[in-house]
Amino acid sequence: MSIAKFPLPDVGEGLTEAEIVSWKVAPGDKVSVNQTICEIETAKSVVELPCPFEGEVTELLAAEGDTVEVGSPIIAVNVAGNAPILTEPDAPAKEPADTGAEYKLPTLVGYGDSGEAKSRRKRAVNTAPISTAIPVAMVRAASASDSVLAKPPIRKLAKELGVNLANVTGTGVHGEITREDVVGAASQASVFKNLTTPDVPSEREERIPVKGVRKAIATAMVKSAFTAPHVSIFVDVDATRTMEYVKRLRNSVDFAGIKVTPLLIMAKAIIWAVRRNRMVNSTWTDQEIIVHNFVNLGLAAATPRGLIVPNIKDADSMSLLELAQAIEQLAATAREGKTTPEDMSNGTITITNIGVFGVDTGTPILNPGEVSIVALGSIRKKPWVVDDEIVVRQVTTIGATFDHRVVDGDVASRFVQDVASVIEEPALLLD
Amino acid sequence: MGKLAFVTPANSEPMLQLLAPDGTYGVPKGYERYGAAIDELDEDKLKTFYRDMARIRRFDLEAIALQRQGQLGLWVPAIGQEGAQIGSGYGVGHNDHIFPSYREHGVAITHGVELMSILKMMRGVNHGGWNPEETRYHLYAIVLGSQVLHAVGYAMGVKLDGKVGNGDLSDDLAVISYMGDGATAEGDVSESLLFAAVNEAPIVFFVQNNQWAISSSVETQTKVPLYKRGQGFGVPGMRVDGNDVLANYAATKIHMDEAREGAGPFLIEALTYRIGAHTTSDDPTKYRDEAEVEYWRQRDPIDRFEIFLRRQGIGDDFFEEVKEAGDALAKDIREQTFALPKPPLEHIFNNVYSDEHPEIERQKAWLRAYEDQMGEHE
Amino acid sequence: MSSYQDMAIARAINAGLRKAMQRDEKVLVFGEDVARLGGVFRVTEGLLDEFGEKRVFNSPIAESGIVGTAIGLAMRGYRSVAEIQFDGFVFPAFNQITSQLAKLTYRSEGFQQMPVVIRIPFGGGIGAVEHHSESPEAYFAHTAGLRVVSPSNPNDAYWMIQQAIESPDPVIFFEPKRRYWQKGPVNLDTAPLPLHSARMLREGTDVTLIAYGPMVSTALQAAEIGAEEGVSIEVIDLRSISPIDYPTLLASVAKTGRAVIASEAPTNVSVASEVAARIAEHSFYHLQAPVVRVGGFDTPYPPAKLEEEYLPDADRILEAVDRVLAY
Repeated sequence: MSIAKFPLPDVGEGLTEAEIVSWKVAPGDKVSVNQTICEIETAKSVVELPCPFEGEVTELLAAEGDTVEVGSPIIAVNVAGNAPILTEPDAPAKEPADTGAEYKLPTLVGYGDSGEAKSRRKRAVNTAPISTAIPVAMVRAASASDSVLAKPPIRKLAKELGVNLANVTGTGVHGEITREDVVGAASQASVFKNLTTPDVPSEREERIPVKGVRKAIATAMVKSAFTAPHVSIFVDVDATRTMEYVKRLRNSVDFAGIKVTPLLIMAKAIIWAVRRNRMVNSTWTDQEIIVHNFVNLGLAAATPRGLIVPNIKDADSMSLLELAQAIEQLAATAREGKTTPEDMSNGTITITNIGVFGVDTGTPILNPGEVSIVALGSIRKKPWVVDDEIVVRQVTTIGATFDHRVVDGDVASRFVQDVASVIEEPALLLD
Repeated sequence: MGKLAFVTPANSEPMLQLLAPDGTYGVPKGYERYGAAIDELDEDKLKTFYRDMARIRRFDLEAIALQRQGQLGLWVPAIGQEGAQIGSGYGVGHNDHIFPSYREHGVAITHGVELMSILKMMRGVNHGGWNPEETRYHLYAIVLGSQVLHAVGYAMGVKLDGKVGNGDLSDDLAVISYMGDGATAEGDVSESLLFAAVNEAPIVFFVQNNQWAISSSVETQTKVPLYKRGQGFGVPGMRVDGNDVLANYAATKIHMDEAREGAGPFLIEALTYRIGAHTTSDDPTKYRDEAEVEYWRQRDPIDRFEIFLRRQGIGDDFFEEVKEAGDALAKDIREQTFALPKPPLEHIFNNVYSDEHPEIERQKAWLRAYEDQMGEHE
Repeated sequence: MSSYQDMAIARAINAGLRKAMQRDEKVLVFGEDVARLGGVFRVTEGLLDEFGEKRVFNSPIAESGIVGTAIGLAMRGYRSVAEIQFDGFVFPAFNQITSQLAKLTYRSEGFQQMPVVIRIPFGGGIGAVEHHSESPEAYFAHTAGLRVVSPSNPNDAYWMIQQAIESPDPVIFFEPKRRYWQKGPVNLDTAPLPLHSARMLREGTDVTLIAYGPMVSTALQAAEIGAEEGVSIEVIDLRSISPIDYPTLLASVAKTGRAVIASEAPTNVSVASEVAARIAEHSFYHLQAPVVRVGGFDTPYPPAKLEEEYLPDADRILEAVDRVLAY
């Protein structure tokens, strides 16, 4: 014995509801297959409904005058134990007949309004969208020497930045050239990209005189390295939110035409962290420690003639946009070889961006006159733990070196932690 | 009844009727050769006529119920037309080809087409996948009149094959093309009559005039009685009482034989009535008189034939047996219908072309891959 | 060694029909005026004499009837080659072509094959009156179950008509009527390509120019002029409008990075539009410029005196080429 329910069918090719006009049976009545059990009125006509079951009526599930949606059960019938169980083969398995369980009549129910999905279907397997690609000759023909793969906006960008796409290696999913590739090609990093492996030189050695910029760098490095006790600390941080923020800034109208990179966020983060850890933004003289209440932010810049560190004066009073523009200007000036000594003096704290070279982290040497230098490493997709699950996040290592005469371990750690927390959550900058 | 002047049997249009509504048999003057065709029938054959009429009616009623229970998207009832369909169906020869429209379920069973084949269409499993060559019963055609041209083309092919007029009943064949009164208005039907006539094709056009095309009565579709429709094209015709199974049998047999022998095309109008709705989506109470329907219920083909058979001495046992067979058939149809599975999704792409086609292969593979990675709605 | 013969497209189709009818006695040719007259373009000339009136006959002027009976004949095992006299007169047969011919194999689940070829002279450029210069191919390319092809030269015409007749599927065979009398060499021994393959007719590096039917000659002319101006245009003859040989098209676009599609048909919702959409989808990373379509304007075909301005010519094609090169 089981209870069978008869869902209101669509009797007219796409009807969505009907009104129960009159019942011809009542609870307790015995009914047979095809016996008329009620009259319904639809948008098209008045129709008699025949019973699909044989058994005893237990309940009328709708009253006369009710408007019922197609698919809603209208009557419950206690079906005799021996009645054939009528199901569509792919319906879920039903309980055995004598548990008193319900079963629903498998029905070609009309679609009506409720047929529209209210949610997306879940992807059972977490895969990328299925390729609609036409494989064959298209792939065959696209050899690297024949053609350059890049989306139209990237081609436009390359044109604007004066980058020859033929010299750029694409790192996109399909081997195409991405925005980062173009920007990277246009930036100072391209100066040092090893594009080709040179031939073995014919002489056994080459002697380069030590003078000019090279001599100055060497002197400064030695002075810094052997007077200040250098301590380096490192923090790995999930930079995904910073990357998202950078992407949004790039798309924003206000930042159109301005280069926005994670370096900008790092700069802001450092400025913010400096406010909370003032000691890192100071200068050691043998008599006193001068704590600066302004930030002249140095950016290590690679030029063909060597490493220079021009700084952005009063970076702490700049808006995000102004800072972005200042960074861009500084880099361009350095590339052109036009950086002035004034630009390079009175820096209070420095960032060195080794990430553009593809380097994860390092132990940078302090810029003479400063007690802190922060290294921004490459930002790569790595496995990370979020809510106890391993997910793919964009991770970077923030490395920083401090002068231990001024900055103790706890201050150093707090400072680096502050920087890292901004990289992890740029919204902290709203402080 | 003035409005129905030329469609009731009581008027003056010549019509073949062998079996009156009250069950009396008689051959009218001038129709002797049709009577002769009946004389050749033995009791078994007559019982078969009855059995099949009752069977198809029981099937029809069950199909209506199944639709009302949500098991079929649609059903097209042929209630009231059993005489025309069973009678003409048996008049068709065992080599002949049949081109139905979409209501000739009775004709289908006279040539061994499985009833479930028809139901599969209505359940949305296919568009009618039975084998037309094997059954010689072609697929249902939903664009009215479109199939009549196909029937004519087929008949032209039969003629090209030389299978007409050889007197060889095992090899020669003719074509019968069914349509309703509504379809006769379609241009394709006029073109069919034309092509059939100028090519002297071996074809009989069988018009089941059930007097209603959804809600348009037959006056909307024609100004003259439909048996005259072919005259302008050179296709002679006759009217039979559509509810007289014997008249339908005789007329169809005689004229299919003649077409097979090379007499050219012919048109039979079977004057009957659509007792039921156009389909289960239709409500005839909105456009026709109950009185009219009752008039035609009095002229039911099965009732009058039962009277006739009983007068021949066939008794209760037979009629009981037929009723039980009908109920068993209904139960079987019901169970089979519930068990019909949804076709696999590849079916969307099968048989679009006979030859391989790159787009079809690509899209089929895509849908398979897509469905494989999709779960249920969240 | 292949034997070649120079002939016009109309003669080439005639020769192809002849070959097909010699090979298979089930092949029939019918339509309006195709028998004694040999067709208004003489494409079926001489077939009545060679094959007799049972196989080559005139139909009543009833296009729906012509296609509908062709369907019935196919059910009976015949292979009909039905002619619709002019492109503009195909519409009475549209129902039989799209709701019946295209769907019967599907409806019958493969039990009924539809080996029917419908030959239609199409396109403009002959100074004709209304309804004699249409390009209705998109309606049929849009209909699943049909195959649609158009030869642009005599060799393709000779072979493609035979391949179409051999196909078990319905084929709409569009004949470029303005090119009927264009002559070219026909290889009588070997078919050049399968029925649905596209073909690169002229190699180039700067732009891929895609055309079919009557526009192919115009495209080649444009490429010739372009070369003098220093532009290297690769010309591809689609040959088959449904299905389209995308691998060939995409390989070319991968090489050139620029695509222009030219046809006589009004551009809105045309075959060219479909090709453009597919190229944009599948060659996205290769494209240096948007895909541009050149076609007729979205008006009914104009009176003959304005036909020259309406139809795309070499200049209109080169204007589009200039546009894509500007990116």
